[in-house]
Amino acid sequence: MRTTAHRTPHTEMQKTSTYIGLGLFFALTAFPLLLGIGYALLFSLGLAGMLSEGFTSEHWQAVLGSESFWETMAFSIYVALVSIGLAVTLAMLLVVRWPRTFESTPLSFFIYWPLAIPAIVMAFLIFQLLSKGGALSRLAFQLGLVDGLSQFPDWVNGQYGIGIITAHFFMALPFFLILYTQMYSHEGLKGLMQQAFTLGANRRQAAWRVAVPVLLRRSFATVVLYFLFVMGSYEIPLLLGSQSRQMVSVLTIQKLQRFNLADIPQAYTISVVYSVMVVALVLWLLGAKKQV
Amino acid sequence: MFLEAKNINKGFGAEKVLDDLSLQLAEHEMLSILGRSGSGKTTLLKILAGLESPDKGMVLLQGQDMGPLPPNRRNIVYLYQEPLLFPHLNVFENIAFGLRLRKAPEGAVQKRVAEMLANLELPEQARKMPHQLSGGQRQRVAFGRALIINPKVLLLDEPFGALDAETRASMQQLLKRIAKAFAITALFVTHGLKEALIMGDRIGLMQQGELKVYDSKKAFIEDVETGVQAEMDFWREIE
Repeated sequence: MRTTAHRTPHTEMQKTSTYIGLGLFFALTAFPLLLGIGYALLFSLGLAGMLSEGFTSEHWQAVLGSESFWETMAFSIYVALVSIGLAVTLAMLLVVRWPRTFESTPLSFFIYWPLAIPAIVMAFLIFQLLSKGGALSRLAFQLGLVDGLSQFPDWVNGQYGIGIITAHFFMALPFFLILYTQMYSHEGLKGLMQQAFTLGANRRQAAWRVAVPVLLRRSFATVVLYFLFVMGSYEIPLLLGSQSRQMVSVLTIQKLQRFNLADIPQAYTISVVYSVMVVALVLWLLGAKKQV
Repeated sequence: MFLEAKNINKGFGAEKVLDDLSLQLAEHEMLSILGRSGSGKTTLLKILAGLESPDKGMVLLQGQDMGPLPPNRRNIVYLYQEPLLFPHLNVFENIAFGLRLRKAPEGAVQKRVAEMLANLELPEQARKMPHQLSGGQRQRVAFGRALIINPKVLLLDEPFGALDAETRASMQQLLKRIAKAFAITALFVTHGLKEALIMGDRIGLMQQGELKVYDSKKAFIEDVETGVQAEMDFWREIE
């Protein structure tokens, strides 16, 4: 009886603090976000905004029926897939092959420092490096690989988004290096790999059959969230992207800031579609996590 | 001799861990090695498995020098105190791991894993993931995963150290039964006196990097250094 009397106020306090925490979280993050999405939805349906003339599906039809919107979505997915795919693959290979290198050696400082660089600065650095007038182009010219700077390929502001992918790759690589280095020790991968060796696995088999699946499984949610972050990025594609193939944030902002006010509801429509996609992915992730 | 370690020396920096250690192990024999923490037991097993290199000395298996062979080509399985099951594979696939590496036909994999599961009294757990098992069950799966590839030598590094007393006792009996059924050749490292006596056909004592193997259990019990006499005195005093 005494124990129960002792525990009840404590449990009640815990419950209260949980509710306060959840309430604060909802008020500061989810609520403004929901308000924003709600307003965007109303605007896209002609139910809000200065030009509102009552309910209409015209803007949704215009966006969903336009080829450029789907090209933008496909291009955004392509950029996110390639940059995150490359960063995850390389980070995993490096950590599995040389797990101790990134823990506390002086080298690790130089590997991690790109994490502190803002996206716009990274975009500028990549522009300086890969553009037609950039460092690589000049080096290629000096080496006689190209006759003039104009012959240097369109790595920046080009159709394939190489500049955007490179910038995101350099920003994501150190992040995943840190993540996998910590996971390597936290998940006891050294022991698991040694176990695989004595069971007959060579280095490649141990990496493919043990280390990679364990790391991928544990980092799956983080990889998907980073993928969404890259898909929705703005500064890097603004500076390094082309005019004809835009990423989703750039297209949205352009529509929002155009002189043609009729484009504004379309910008809101795009943001609603993108938000729904993100929420669906996050819900799917949560479901998948529960099953694990 | 089936397994032989000759004049093994190993140090980490200034610390000498193994000092001119030699041992011999006959086929189908289980040698218990008793030793305190830091006596060099784990280092010895890792050298035998090929996970560490000795500074000096050699390891021979059926007369063949193991020095140039990497761990995956020695057919010596090292089992840690922790079962170290692969967390992304279920019980069936954990046990099948070595067979899959050797590209065994699917029919053979199914049959042999099912037999092993029955031997380990785990047939109902086949589809469970490692985190859904108890400590004892996990350790049994680790045994199954090792035994299914018929290793020439099994190195057991305090395999029951993390188990409670009751589970530990039943696991000791299970291992004794399996060792007999599979004619296992094994080194069993422990810091428990009773466990060393139960598990080993012969017993060795490891102290400060040196190994002393006794001719009989009687000789082991009579040696004051093993601590058996002190243990017996303790129980007599309680009586």
